[in-house]
Amino acid sequence: MLFAEGKDVPGNILQEQAVKAEMQKDGTNRIEFSSEYLDASHFSGKEHFRVFQNYIGKKYDGGNLDLVVAFPSQDYMLAGELPDALFPIVPVVFVAVNEMDAPLTISKLGVTGIVQRFDIRGTLGLIMRLQPDTRRVVVIGGTTESDRATLGRIAEESKSLESVQFEFWTNRSVAQMSVDVGSLPEGTVILMSTVLRDVTGQPFNTSQLAQMLAPSASVPLYVFGGWALGSGAVGGSVVDPEDLGARAGQLALRVLGGEDPEKVPIEVATKGTPMVDWRALQRWGIKESRVPADAVIRYRPQTLWDEHRDLILILLAVFLAQAVTITGLLVQRSQRRRAEAVILDQRTEIAHVTRVSTMGQLTSAISHELNQPLGAILRNAEAAEMFLQKENPDLEEIRAILADIRKDDQRAGNVIKRMRSLLKRRSLDLKPLNFDELLAETVALAQSDAHARQVFLALQLRDKLPDVIGDRVHLQQVLLNLVLNGMDAMAGVPKSQRLLTVSAKPAKDGGVEVTVSDCGSGIAPDKIGRLFEPFFTTKENGMGMGLAISQTIIEAHGGKIWGGNNSPRGAAFFFTLPARPN
Amino acid sequence: MNTPTGSGTVYIVDDDESFLKSVSRLLRAAGYSVQAFTSAKKFLEQLAPGMSGCVLADLQMPGLNGLELQAALAKSASPMPVVFLSAQGDIPTTVKAMRGGAEDFLTKLDPKEKLLDAIRRALARGARESKARGHLRELRERFATLTPRELEVLKHVVRGQLNKQIADDLGINERTVKLHRTNLTRRLNVKSVAELTRLTEEAGLFGDGTAG
Repeated sequence: MLFAEGKDVPGNILQEQAVKAEMQKDGTNRIEFSSEYLDASHFSGKEHFRVFQNYIGKKYDGGNLDLVVAFPSQDYMLAGELPDALFPIVPVVFVAVNEMDAPLTISKLGVTGIVQRFDIRGTLGLIMRLQPDTRRVVVIGGTTESDRATLGRIAEESKSLESVQFEFWTNRSVAQMSVDVGSLPEGTVILMSTVLRDVTGQPFNTSQLAQMLAPSASVPLYVFGGWALGSGAVGGSVVDPEDLGARAGQLALRVLGGEDPEKVPIEVATKGTPMVDWRALQRWGIKESRVPADAVIRYRPQTLWDEHRDLILILLAVFLAQAVTITGLLVQRSQRRRAEAVILDQRTEIAHVTRVSTMGQLTSAISHELNQPLGAILRNAEAAEMFLQKENPDLEEIRAILADIRKDDQRAGNVIKRMRSLLKRRSLDLKPLNFDELLAETVALAQSDAHARQVFLALQLRDKLPDVIGDRVHLQQVLLNLVLNGMDAMAGVPKSQRLLTVSAKPAKDGGVEVTVSDCGSGIAPDKIGRLFEPFFTTKENGMGMGLAISQTIIEAHGGKIWGGNNSPRGAAFFFTLPARPN
Repeated sequence: MNTPTGSGTVYIVDDDESFLKSVSRLLRAAGYSVQAFTSAKKFLEQLAPGMSGCVLADLQMPGLNGLELQAALAKSASPMPVVFLSAQGDIPTTVKAMRGGAEDFLTKLDPKEKLLDAIRRALARGARESKARGHLRELRERFATLTPRELEVLKHVVRGQLNKQIADDLGINERTVKLHRTNLTRRLNVKSVAELTRLTEEAGLFGDGTAG
């Protein structure tokens, strides 16, 4: 058994025991086990990996290995490259708790296994069940690719909870977070994702992290891993290491029994086991009647457990039967989703922008309308210049040209006027708006685009925003325009740095101030003053209309819009909207 | 550098009359002969064999659009290079236009140097292609004077067959073959079998699908 992490990681211990227990179920003790631990979080680097590989290679050389059970880290190296290099003919079964799929190379090596994902939907469901008054979820996350993959999935699932704000804490250190969780207001819960590395580069395993955060938190904390239970967390629809280990043990037995691992597809499971810590329920005053009947309650005084043991076991059996069906359905669904994702990727950027942004359509129509008269003016002016260069310029002709230029100038002016009136009077539908909701909805709308462009799009809402009066559709267009601009600005930076943040706070005068901030290359200082001019653009294929129209919309609402550079990198755009008059 | 070269007319097609007028003016000022049309249909209606020059067309027009105009023109008796103008270019349309053999693809706000340069190139190409077409037409007219029997003999000659083989193949006297050969070389005004072969190939008489 090859472990990517150390021997002391709680999830490992439980899984190891469960695998062994499952494989020795027949009581014959025919199978001998050896375990090795790479301990990659504490000893990273190629040299360490090479030494470990040499050591394993020497130690088991000719040792009659029949099977490797691998517990790889996020990179799957322990399930693929290492056993393939050392024991090319020994079958490999792996168990991974991973948000990323096993690379294709692995299945080509004749390796099979189980990829267990976090049950985000189930956990959010459990939170709302236990604490229906939850209005805000603070998500604790890390900075590695895998951490971001998990956060991406949480952001995706968060869309289903319209009444709840999600706030992603990714750019503060764990030390800072352990302080900040102490002053969260009521109505908030903490959802702990993974922090394989925090913003300072320090690695954490989830049990450790839960132990650091849960005791000092002013609100309940939820987790995705069963091994983090007991640290003070309330619980979650968790990955149960014992159940996972048992499933891996069964798979290992099948392969040992002669089944060709190449013919066993890698299982991807997303369903978790609802599990709560009884002591944490007591601490936060959560009524036990709220706990779903199928949930496992841990750390309850033994007598109560004994009393309901049979009932729970029956329910568990029912649940397991359901889980089998559901897993089947989920596998089908995940296949369909993958197909959909491919289609999404194939769509061109332009097509999508046009789909979500009516402003995109508007700018395109307007620039077409304007380019006709502008083109005519240009051609006429050029013709006039050429006539004037001749020896006897035909002044009649030049007079006619000037008259035409004037006519086309008026035509262009009319296009602008039409656009203004379109935005100002006819279609401004002013109504009181719940701005938090508007922001969440717009960010959710842009989320699929963000995924396709591998941008991490986060919404940060700290305080309740005052209501404003405005036109929902137009304000949404302004936001979308800023968000899409931000994504465009980051097309050239490495994936890991593509972070786009939308945040909002109450403004000093009682209104709202919104910030859309990217990590792109920023704006050249000499261009900042011209950003909102019509036809001014820094994009190769830009129309230079988006910000101009945004400005018209915001000013029509009585607000202001401006932009500038972020420190240390990227650009930020801000706009304000006045408060709703009483 | 942008002086007009060669002959030929620039046919401008654009539904925006004001732009049509302005660009006609500019090209006239630059010394070109210009004809303006407000729709692709009107232009195609007056198209006659032997017309030469180039077409400057708007891409987005009601009725037949620029790409459709390009396709119709390519099939007509007087194909001409097309330069496209668009109020705003998008990549898929550009690619399509260029694949269809467009000389260039400009936006209406491009500077005049770019426009005049594209027109100069299109006219030069149009002249070249029209000259080649004229040469071909003239060549085919010459071959058209041959009798069916002479054509048959010619077909065997350019394959490199000797008179005797030709006589056997056609079931005629060797002396008759000689007579046909003398007549056809005189009518086509050629001196050698090599020249005869080259002209036959140029006219595309037997080699490709245009053999007639």
